[in-house]
Amino acid sequence: MSNKSNSDHAMFLLVVGLLAWVIPGAGHFLIKERKRAAVIFVTIVGTFLVGLHVGSVAVINSKGAGLWYIAQMMVSPGVAVIANITRQGEYLAYGKCSDIGQIYTSIAGLLNMLCIVSAVYMGHSGRGELIGDEEDDK
Amino acid sequence: MINSIASLLCTFTTPEHIGMDPMSMLWMFPLLAAISLVYKATKMRVLFWDKFFKEAGILFLTTSLFVIFAGVGLFILVQVLTT
Repeated sequence: MSNKSNSDHAMFLLVVGLLAWVIPGAGHFLIKERKRAAVIFVTIVGTFLVGLHVGSVAVINSKGAGLWYIAQMMVSPGVAVIANITRQGEYLAYGKCSDIGQIYTSIAGLLNMLCIVSAVYMGHSGRGELIGDEEDDK
Repeated sequence: MINSIASLLCTFTTPEHIGMDPMSMLWMFPLLAAISLVYKATKMRVLFWDKFFKEAGILFLTTSLFVIFAGVGLFILVQVLTT
């Protein structure tokens, strides 16, 4: 019985982590941390889009910028789709705007990694259930 | 509708123009704001809007001042070493 509940809990944490990766903030939303989820979604997606807008989609470069790409992938697996589009087309990224775009998109990914860890930790400690009610009361 | 979506997507295919002047350093402030917001969103025990924005604002100002002072310090050091 205990083993089953442990495996259920592990599966729940896995779902929280995966969801937090697929959609920034969704992990927190699942554990009833709705305000946190909203802040995380708006901030991370906004930062990523600003980076793409400034540097163009070419800043997502899976071949030429390996470490940057790993950081960018932490925003969402959907980044792989953008990388595929970038590989097939001839998009330009150069100079300062490329640097800034790369930094923005990579920092967005690293921030999402922090949020994934936070969501899994909150799901594990049950903070979402406790604090979600407190937030709703306010 | 489709045209407006297409024109919006087109803005993501060409890079913006950002000069190599000191004004380009201002691009760090939105990033610092994003870092402050997400950090506080993950660290605060209970998230109440007024307290959250206050603490995120304080963190943003602190990190901004640190970066500015570090930049000024490095600038002075370079001036001393190169003149």
